[in-house]
Amino acid sequence: MASITLPWVQRDTEKLSNYRERAIRLLAIIALAHIPIILGAWLLLDPLSTKPADLQDWKVLLVPPLCLGSIGGMLLFAGAAFAIYAYELIGRVLSAPWVAFVIFIGAIFGIVIGVWLHAEILMTVQRDWMPAKETSVIPVVGIEYDHTVQSIYQNNLAGKSVDFPLIGAISIDTPILAYLMFPLQFPLIRDLVGVGGIIGFISLIPGFGIWWERKVAGRIQSRMGPMRAGGWHGWAQSAADGIKLAFKEDYVPPGGDGLLFRLAPYITFIPPICAFIALPFATAWVFRDLDVALIFILAMLGIEVMGVILAGWASNNKWSVYGAMREACQMVSYEIPMGMALLIPVMTAGSLSLTGIAEAQSGGFWTWFVFVNPWCFLAFFLYYVASLASCKRAPFDLPESESELVAGFLTEYSGFRWSMFFFGEYVAMYVVCGLAAILFLGGWMSPFPASSAEWFIAQANIENGMLQTLVKSLLAANPIWFILKATFLFFVQLWIRWTLPRIRIDQVLYACVQVLLPATMVVLLCNTVWTLGVSENGLNLGWLIALDGIINKILAAAGLLTLLGIVGIAAYGYRNNKKLVGWLAVDQLPGK
Amino acid sequence: MDDLAFYIFAAISVGSAFGVVVSQNIVRTALFLLGTLGGVAGLYFLLDANLIAVIQLIVYAGGTLILIVFGIMLTSKSPWAEFKPPKGQIVLAALVGLLMFIGITSLTLSGDVNWAARATKTPLATSPKVAEAGEALLTTYLVPFEVASVLLLVVMIGAAYLAKTEK
Amino acid sequence: MADVILESQPDINADLSSDQIQQQDLQTEEMLVNMGPQHPATHGVLRVVLRTDGEMVLEAVPHIGYLHRCAEKIGETVAPYQYIPYTDRMDYLAGMNNNLAFAQAVEKLTGLEAEITERTKLIRIVFAELNRIASHLVSFGTYGLDLGAFTPFLYAFREREYILDLFESACGARLTYSYITVGGVTDDLPERFVDITREFLDYFEPKVHEYNLLLSHNHIFIKRTANVGVITAQEALDYGLSGPVLRGSGVNFDLRKQPGSGYEDFDFNVPVGQGEKGKVGDCWDRYIVRVSEMLESVKIIRQALDKLDGTEGQETLHKKGKTLKLPADEIYYEIENPRGQLGFFVRGNGSAIPDRVKARGPSFCNLCVTEKVCQDVLLGDVAAIIGSIDVVMGEVDR
Repeated sequence: MASITLPWVQRDTEKLSNYRERAIRLLAIIALAHIPIILGAWLLLDPLSTKPADLQDWKVLLVPPLCLGSIGGMLLFAGAAFAIYAYELIGRVLSAPWVAFVIFIGAIFGIVIGVWLHAEILMTVQRDWMPAKETSVIPVVGIEYDHTVQSIYQNNLAGKSVDFPLIGAISIDTPILAYLMFPLQFPLIRDLVGVGGIIGFISLIPGFGIWWERKVAGRIQSRMGPMRAGGWHGWAQSAADGIKLAFKEDYVPPGGDGLLFRLAPYITFIPPICAFIALPFATAWVFRDLDVALIFILAMLGIEVMGVILAGWASNNKWSVYGAMREACQMVSYEIPMGMALLIPVMTAGSLSLTGIAEAQSGGFWTWFVFVNPWCFLAFFLYYVASLASCKRAPFDLPESESELVAGFLTEYSGFRWSMFFFGEYVAMYVVCGLAAILFLGGWMSPFPASSAEWFIAQANIENGMLQTLVKSLLAANPIWFILKATFLFFVQLWIRWTLPRIRIDQVLYACVQVLLPATMVVLLCNTVWTLGVSENGLNLGWLIALDGIINKILAAAGLLTLLGIVGIAAYGYRNNKKLVGWLAVDQLPGK
Repeated sequence: MDDLAFYIFAAISVGSAFGVVVSQNIVRTALFLLGTLGGVAGLYFLLDANLIAVIQLIVYAGGTLILIVFGIMLTSKSPWAEFKPPKGQIVLAALVGLLMFIGITSLTLSGDVNWAARATKTPLATSPKVAEAGEALLTTYLVPFEVASVLLLVVMIGAAYLAKTEK
Repeated sequence: MADVILESQPDINADLSSDQIQQQDLQTEEMLVNMGPQHPATHGVLRVVLRTDGEMVLEAVPHIGYLHRCAEKIGETVAPYQYIPYTDRMDYLAGMNNNLAFAQAVEKLTGLEAEITERTKLIRIVFAELNRIASHLVSFGTYGLDLGAFTPFLYAFREREYILDLFESACGARLTYSYITVGGVTDDLPERFVDITREFLDYFEPKVHEYNLLLSHNHIFIKRTANVGVITAQEALDYGLSGPVLRGSGVNFDLRKQPGSGYEDFDFNVPVGQGEKGKVGDCWDRYIVRVSEMLESVKIIRQALDKLDGTEGQETLHKKGKTLKLPADEIYYEIENPRGQLGFFVRGNGSAIPDRVKARGPSFCNLCVTEKVCQDVLLGDVAAIIGSIDVVMGEVDR
């Protein structure tokens, strides 16, 4: 990566080293300037003292920025100065291929652990802090609050410690944590932290998705995909693409409606993000546990269409308008079979709440709705196809290809606005896959039965409490399973895109109205009758229940075999492909 | 906190509604309508009526509005049409609006209509459940539900028939 | 302006500047759409103007000439052996075939034909058929790309890379070979060429079946191409079509099976469209004819390689190739190009430089059927139809 130099870029080494020295000096000065602030803050505010008189509430505003922030700032600026000073060394270290990989994996692990930690803290706060002792009032604004710093420290932190698996017990007996956790008692702050978590996760999706799509595309097309950006297998391709798009010319078609042109990408981008409000990653890992979560998510995906229409309209291009209309028509038409197919697992579970539906699928992969019922099995595929079309993914990506023939709604968009549309598309894809995972594949429930956690703990003799919880959650219910399943379905969507040709628009609408819609209705009807027959409050037919059980086992076995088959075929093909491609080696030809 | 949210959503709804009325570009009118419907959905959420709120979003914002926009775009000259009412009409409309505003506000703020008393008449102990709404629709309100469904079916058939192209 | 409705349709052949289009659009129900000279998917610089009513294309008129390079005029200024590189650039995907057609035309005109050795003939056939495979691979790949299947394109090009490596080992070039020249071929085969070509053919033949699984029998692909762009046999003959386009319509005519083509001793079939997935003469038939022709070419190459065994040591380039004087006579000679019948008309006047060289490009003649076929089709079908005709603009414009 660092070894490619462009001959026409002249590097004035004199000027660069001059800049470098000035930068180092400036950063060092700023870092040193932090020291008096640190000294002053720590001496005056005395955050480590545990005396009740010192645990004042007003210090919450000052301790984090002045005590902790200044230390962090000093480290940041000093680190930056050091990085510029030792740039050659750092460059050499970073260009080793394994380093980038380690950073990449480390970042992912760090994000996972960070999210888990903050979710644990939030849940602890919600669970343990509820009994309020006395109420105080913030002056000026007049907001009431229940937990002073003193009470937080004395009730939750004094003398307590957390038992980490390998490290042992770490004492959390410091007042600084009390200062930091003070804002968490306000629901608004907790919501903001939750929003931060959601946006963090959402930003990962296109970042990862772009790179992964191009890798998958490359591998399917017997080539490698991005290999250069960032070194190891082009992992920085998403970042490189994002930076490139941000620097493109900001072009707004003259004559078109400027306001609508600028607004449309955001109308397409924001609703899928809002859908994450109601999408649960685990039982308590949901921003708002709406009881109408499913309809909410469908509503969000429906509002997206407006952005598409406005984008086409604002491009001042008659053909953009017609392209946008056609595409909006496709998206809206496929919402019907999508919604109806989603009703089928809802009916089987008896609840619209996504957490409730996922919890009904606990206890092993044979309880997942896709296997439990032949109609849910069919509904899964109907839903998947309809969702592909609703996300305008291949083979239904005629709106994207329309740009080849005539102007589609995206033609006039370039640079950052275009990337907004595509971020929205990737996030919508993930939402849709996440819905499928929750409703059909058991959401965050692991494929192992409920008793496997105890069995594993007993076998491996795990005594540490924290490790026990981790193992229990991993083997029973953990957001990791949800992410894995949703990502797998995302993966399948990528496969489909790069394998199948495009469908013509009239065939798209024909497929919706004359194939998917009747099929969904029939399956819905049959599922109604089946559920009526099988449930205890209904007809409670014994033979139907037995038949249900048999079909359940058959479908579960078929699902497991399919998964193993996919993995097996992939491994076989990978091994053999290396053999075939390298076969006709170029250096066998004479004259090489 | 709830008050702030109410004011924000109310401002969005009213502002967008104003935009719908005042805007001269018909597509912007549709956009403002989206804002109004979204704002009203927010107000429903604040009233703890989750089901109504999401139905508002999915039916109105995600369905009816799209339909309106389709109608605007596909009829021949409409997207490029501009509303330019004569000045006299604008003044008259503003006057009528102002009168209505004064009337409604004074009625609301006067003591004759006791909103507070009406509001606290039957407070809900728990937030309404979707299951109850569903049961009500299929037991108490079955006939209106079915009539509405048949009506929608008739509308769909009629629309499909009318849209059939002559070959 | 909104109330004025013109009686006539928009003039599809007018020189369309943007404000003219805008005016015409506002006044009529129909619209003129420009599939401009730059395409995202190959076919070169072809501009097709479509008159559409909503989604339906009522009329399509191709506008050509963007790649005209006065090749035929240049033929009147250089000697035949110097003209060979110009023939390369005409149908740049089938350079060997173009070279062959011109070289054979000049050889027949000057009577050099009788002195061409057996080895030369076999080498020429091997390279012409290898280039046929390469050209059909491109057409197959880009056709999938037009229809949105991104993967077969790369598989086709992966195979084509091996063929281009073979060409590079023989003549040093990957696209514009100038290898087959007047009097023979510029250089004899490199060593081990025959063995490596055989290895390649063994590797390539099962790949065609893989392509059939991936694309040809893919349900979506069939729905996009079957019963689309049907050209009946009579229409094909009326419009003077040739090559896979003609054979896709059910007419069993291949110049290689005619007497005097040089392929008399070879045993191969000529694939003809049979309406397997739809009507005879639809896009799918034309496409499958090309894919099947690849397998037939493999057969021919194997037979030619076998026959090459006994011909070592024969001279591969006639000494008189560079010093020919053309008689005051004219000849028109056609061969079977991957795209159809490529013909060269050469008229000499006694000197070394011809009086007139004309190329009959098969893509040029095949393209004229676009107007007839693209009537009352959907917009997405236009791409399918033009892709199935497989035009190369270098040949259309010359």
